[in-house]
Amino acid sequence: MYNPGYYLDRQSPVHKLDPRTKIITVIALSISIMQLDHTGLLIIALLLLTCSQAAHIPVVSWLKTLQPILPFFLFLFLIYIFTTPGDPLITIGPINISDQGIYMGFTQVFRFILLILTASILTMSTSSAEITMGLERLLHPVKIIGLSSQDIAMMVSLALRFVPTLIEEMNHIKEAQLSRNCNFNTRGIRGKIRNVTYLSLPLAVNLFRRCDELVNAMEARGYNKGPRTYMRDLAFAPIDFCIISIFVAGTGLCLIL
Amino acid sequence: MICIQNLSFSYPDQEPVLKNIDLNIAEGDYIAVIGPNGSGKTTLIKHLNALLLPSAGEVLVDGLSTSNPKNLPEIRRRVGMIFQNPDNQIVGMSVEEDVAFGPGNLGLPPKEVRKRVDEALEKVGLTNYKSRPPYTLSGGQKQLLAIAGVLAMDSRYIVLDEPTASLDPQSNYKVLNLLKKLNYEGIGIIHVTHNMDDLIIANRLLVMDQGKLITDGPAADILSQVESLKAIGLTPPKVTELMYCLNQRGAAVATNICTVEEAVEEINSLLIKLQNPVDHNRRETEHV
Ligand SMILES: Nc1ncnc2c1ncn2[C@@H]1O[C@H](COP(=O)(O)OP(=O)(O)OP(=O)(O)O)[C@@H](O)[C@H]1O
Ligand SMILES: [Mg+2]
Repeated sequence: MYNPGYYLDRQSPVHKLDPRTKIITVIALSISIMQLDHTGLLIIALLLLTCSQAAHIPVVSWLKTLQPILPFFLFLFLIYIFTTPGDPLITIGPINISDQGIYMGFTQVFRFILLILTASILTMSTSSAEITMGLERLLHPVKIIGLSSQDIAMMVSLALRFVPTLIEEMNHIKEAQLSRNCNFNTRGIRGKIRNVTYLSLPLAVNLFRRCDELVNAMEARGYNKGPRTYMRDLAFAPIDFCIISIFVAGTGLCLIL
Repeated sequence: MICIQNLSFSYPDQEPVLKNIDLNIAEGDYIAVIGPNGSGKTTLIKHLNALLLPSAGEVLVDGLSTSNPKNLPEIRRRVGMIFQNPDNQIVGMSVEEDVAFGPGNLGLPPKEVRKRVDEALEKVGLTNYKSRPPYTLSGGQKQLLAIAGVLAMDSRYIVLDEPTASLDPQSNYKVLNLLKKLNYEGIGIIHVTHNMDDLIIANRLLVMDQGKLITDGPAADILSQVESLKAIGLTPPKVTELMYCLNQRGAAVATNICTVEEAVEEINSLLIKLQNPVDHNRRETEHV
């Protein structure tokens, strides 16, 4: 089974960075992406391409992370085209399609594509344990409002861990329903809704059972409130400080300009 | 030593599931637990590491009571547990991360965690898979991974709930072999199973029925009581049943036999006796 965005075990300079550096950079980049316009976005795109090459991520598998989200991009594009007011370019009945709409549609979709690609560089160059560790340290201050950064980090990593399992399970359920003569090629909105319930109800039921067992297993393996440790410890190197300063400064500039 | 004293347990608003169970488990024991569905096996073993707490009575793990929350971390370290579905007990995104979960929970320094992970993977033979995502492993390898997770915590007892239920014979053999080796190294094994062929390596067999411990003794002796096993809906191993039927028909064979090798031995010596009755008699008279 192929998983877009899954960790690639490589020995690249990006892999060796402290996960906290990478998480901060991703946040900084995301903020910039939401601020910038076409030229800025193109520069970011080039920057991302450079980063992905530095991380030894093959371009094809990198771009493939966009595949599952393509329908969403189309949806987003259509929403912007139809709802942005402006000088009508084409008029179909009550619907106006404007210059501004098309421009907005393209920019927004481009922004989302860049956001996803940014996140994939993080997940493809950082193992989940490292992301968990990084999050846990970065989120430490949430202690003030009574949350445990350890629990949050654990939740994120479990969510990531269970994606492939759930996809597999969904396929099993689909096969089981097909073998009982359930037709998934029905057209029309009603058929589609029915299909979704046929798949999601068993999936949800299984999910709850799974969670129950998982909680048991985690408790049995001694998960509790106390501090946890990992196979390696985190330490910032000079390069980490450099990268964080550059990206944070860059984002600052984007916000001011 | 795990001591279970007069343990009773019921889920909220329900009939008791465990009734007055007394049991001692020594560190080097290899115990198999059998019993029909719903007899309370899973419920019983969940008491061994305080996943469930007794409604009455007490469970002591090396002297630590499971009812005292302060003892929890230590009890969970000493008693490792492995469940039937390997998928639902894996928390790491890679094999080695998963093994590191337990020692990480103990708060050990990263160097020590690393060392334990490597040793545990070596022991179960998964070193070559250490950076693979766990879902790419086979069912048998996932169970070996689960065992590695327990070994990395340096557990004294390993409790397994039908660990081989979904495994093919070869993976099954691998898991059993590993358990045998670990038991030889002094780790206590408590193994719940429906597969009669898994019992042979156990030195003690517990039979549960309707929340009670009805028998406790050497596996071969209990399995040879074919009638009483069948009465509670269990089937003894085929070989044992064969010997039992032969015995019932008047053949002079022992019935406390659980492996093919033992049966071959027994039947063979019977055949030799039958082939040379004269020889045999003469030798006996000469002897007198
Ligand atoms: N979470 C629960 N809530 C209420 N009742 C339960 C719960 N879990 C088990 N039981 C009941 O407790 C009894 C014993 O169940 P248990 O799972 O211990 O049996 P078992 O011997 O492990 O069976 P199996 O061989 O099917 O695994 C059953 O009657 C079951 O219905
Ligand atoms: Mg059970």
